[in-house]
Amino acid sequence: MYNDKDAKKIVDIIQSYARKHSLWVVAYGTGCGAIEIPPTMTSRYDAERFGIRGSATPRQADVLLITGYLAVKTLKRVIRTYEQMQAPKFVMGFGSCTINGGMYWDSYNTINALDRYLPVDVFINGCMPRPEAVISGFIKLQQLISEGKAEGAEKYLKNLEWYRENQNKVIPNWNMPDYNW
Amino acid sequence: MEELKIEKEIAEEISKTFHSAEVTVKREKRVVVKLRDDLITPFLSYAKNNMNFIHLAHISCVDWLEDNKFELIYSLLNYDNKVMILAKTYIDRENPEFVSHTNYWDQAETYEREMREMYGINFKGNKRLTEFILEDWQGIPPMRRDFDTVKFSQDTFYNRPGRENAQDVRTTVTKKSGEEIPEIGKDYTVRNL
Repeated sequence: MYNDKDAKKIVDIIQSYARKHSLWVVAYGTGCGAIEIPPTMTSRYDAERFGIRGSATPRQADVLLITGYLAVKTLKRVIRTYEQMQAPKFVMGFGSCTINGGMYWDSYNTINALDRYLPVDVFINGCMPRPEAVISGFIKLQQLISEGKAEGAEKYLKNLEWYRENQNKVIPNWNMPDYNW
Repeated sequence: MEELKIEKEIAEEISKTFHSAEVTVKREKRVVVKLRDDLITPFLSYAKNNMNFIHLAHISCVDWLEDNKFELIYSLLNYDNKVMILAKTYIDRENPEFVSHTNYWDQAETYEREMREMYGINFKGNKRLTEFILEDWQGIPPMRRDFDTVKFSQDTFYNRPGRENAQDVRTTVTKKSGEEIPEIGKDYTVRNL
């Protein structure tokens, strides 16, 4: 008889090792922060040495970057994008706008706290965060993945009602499809 | 003033044609025309066809809350002498309605759609007054000055605690340098966070 607990652990280690070294990011820029992504990806900061690279479609991606302020109209698209992604999936809040509204805290059309609407694994502060900060955020995410603590997707499914309630509060006309995960 | 020769000629032509118009030459290449609201359509038509102001650069709106008026500003450009005319008019704020000018310029459609959404002005004759930038907006249009954006944001979106001791930039800077905020800026400075 083999030890069931240990066997699972080894699989987990291999799985998370593979996961953390291939983080594919959806090519979707929501705010002004998307301008920091090209320097992060290209030769100067070269994020691909950490296994971070762009992905064209949400269904093939692992990470959703919320780069900066989120208008209510964009939030709708972001929720749709997030729900199309397949688990394991992670969300990174980028810049102070996603944390507490940043300089748009009193705007009529931008949300103030992203983690009320989507489960956020890592927040990067700054306005805007430089490519170094972005990469350090990704390394934090890799750390969380290897420790098995990046459980945003499970949290979302578990607390779906609470998230939907918050989402419906800012999106009154909810005409989106239900995705079957 | 030799330089303002073209501008003065244009101003003279306008005031000859439209007697009730208040024409001022603001500066080089900028002529401001204040008109009655029913004269805007004839004026735009005249400027486009007879004075070669063929380009509608912009239509903007100003909310004069104290006077209970909306001010509409039509910017017209002449490509030959590069003069820009700003045709201004006041409309009623309570029941804001105006004539659409999509028949003169197609691009007026977009500006009118935006003004309908942001100020609630209904442009009669515009066939595409549908939802533009805001989605599912309920309540008063957000660019009106009686719309309280701070209160709306606090009611609608969750405000994470921790901003309570955030300081107003203008007050902090003036305190540091020992200056005083001018009377005109005081209304916009003090805000309850």
